[in-house]
Amino acid sequence: MLEVQDLWAGYDDVAVVRGVSLRVADGEAIAVLGPNGAGKTTLFRSLVGLVRPKKGSVRFEGRPLHGLRPHEVVRQGVAYVAAERELFPQLTVLENLELGAYARPEGARQRLEMVFELFPRLAERRGQRAGTLSGGEQQMLAIARALMAQPKLLLLDEPSTGLAPRLVAELYRRLETLRRQGVTILLAEQQVGAALGLCSRVYVLKDGGVAFEGEAAELRGSAQLRMAYLGGT
Amino acid sequence: MGVVLDGLVLGLQLALLSVGVVFVYGLGGVLNLAHGQVAVAGGLVAALLLQAKVNPVLSGLGGVLAAGLVALLLDRTLLQPAYRRRGEERLLLALILTLGTSFALDGFFTFRYPNVALSLRLPAPSVEVAGITVRTASLAVGALSLVTFGLLLVFLKGTRLGKAIRCIIQNEAGAWLCGVDVDRARTVTLFLSGVLAGVAALGQGFFSYLGPDMGPEFTILALIVAVVGGVRSLTGTFLASLLLGMVNAALSYWVGTYLTWIALLAVAVATLLVRPEGLLAYWP
Repeated sequence: MLEVQDLWAGYDDVAVVRGVSLRVADGEAIAVLGPNGAGKTTLFRSLVGLVRPKKGSVRFEGRPLHGLRPHEVVRQGVAYVAAERELFPQLTVLENLELGAYARPEGARQRLEMVFELFPRLAERRGQRAGTLSGGEQQMLAIARALMAQPKLLLLDEPSTGLAPRLVAELYRRLETLRRQGVTILLAEQQVGAALGLCSRVYVLKDGGVAFEGEAAELRGSAQLRMAYLGGT
Repeated sequence: MGVVLDGLVLGLQLALLSVGVVFVYGLGGVLNLAHGQVAVAGGLVAALLLQAKVNPVLSGLGGVLAAGLVALLLDRTLLQPAYRRRGEERLLLALILTLGTSFALDGFFTFRYPNVALSLRLPAPSVEVAGITVRTASLAVGALSLVTFGLLLVFLKGTRLGKAIRCIIQNEAGAWLCGVDVDRARTVTLFLSGVLAGVAALGQGFFSYLGPDMGPEFTILALIVAVVGGVRSLTGTFLASLLLGMVNAALSYWVGTYLTWIALLAVAVATLLVRPEGLLAYWP
């Protein structure tokens, strides 16, 4: 579904992502792990057009994604939930969700119901301003807003950032539900345990390149591997 | 009573001029120093159309449209290198680019059209409403600006693109991720800021006259209002416009017009000292 080949990206003259290649098949959940500064966020930002790749190719369902601008990427069926969540703080939950459907207005009603079913808390708070929600609720809203664009592929950057362990578990149950409904997921995560529970395959980034690639079960089963690539977490 | 009305109308006139600056700043991160020249361009086109014996209403519309197109051209050409940068770098580059544009346009207008001025005279200079004598120019400018703001509000609240523009001001990255073409929205906003400036130029024509050398004055007025209102707040801009309009009208009535510029600048300085972010900096 998604095929990234030898992608280089960065800011000004500094390349942060250095020759990353990865594949995501239809219906998979894939984790990109690695320490802060490994290039996870820049990789994601270059996939969705927020950063222009310097070199390499990104193909989604066979069509090139590299060189498209962010709003065109959304229309191709790839939605991105940034670590900063990027909500509209002054707008209500409902207004945020409606804007999520900006790229795909048809069928927005049904998707809204679907999203409220997945995140009942958001339905309760639909009239509340996004800026006044708790951290966990804001993360739910960010994911829900991305789903309003009816993505085939959902990119999540550090969805567990700033959430209490109980909320992280709840969040990952929702993501599991989504995966079963057929949404393909690519996520970057520092909480390795949670990510390994959801994902089938893993890429570990180090200094902007892929240092390890393999089954999530391999990493789950081997403390040695985890120590080598992820600093013992 | 007449002073209050004059102040209100002047305030609306200032709002027409400054809302565009605030919008472009909030949405594009660009402070347009050629904004006043855009207004003058519109006014001069209207004046030239009138000279050519075109119907006055069409002349006015033509002038407003011309101002919008000048701003649009600025967006599509000169500002492009600025848009490729972010944050302060963009702001700084755009300041220099628009400052240069303003000098160039000023020079062009005063050299090419030294004697063209827009002056819109209504059939009667004043009418009596509920026992008060009111200048017809005030009524015309008041009505014109209210209609313009009404249309702007309908666009912002009622259309898809309008809503997208409001959300870009809150979070540009968020808007991109929702599928909004921020570049296009910015171009539309520049055009709208030009249109508003064009309407302000017509207002100036009703009040007294608009000459080819009035660009800098308009730009500075717009900037003063933006500073007092908080450069990111539309509500603040509106309130600041009305406040400064009142101050201006009261001073010209009781003291004399020579003091009004000093007073406006004093209000701006006082605001910067007390509330450096503007009166309503954190309001939507």
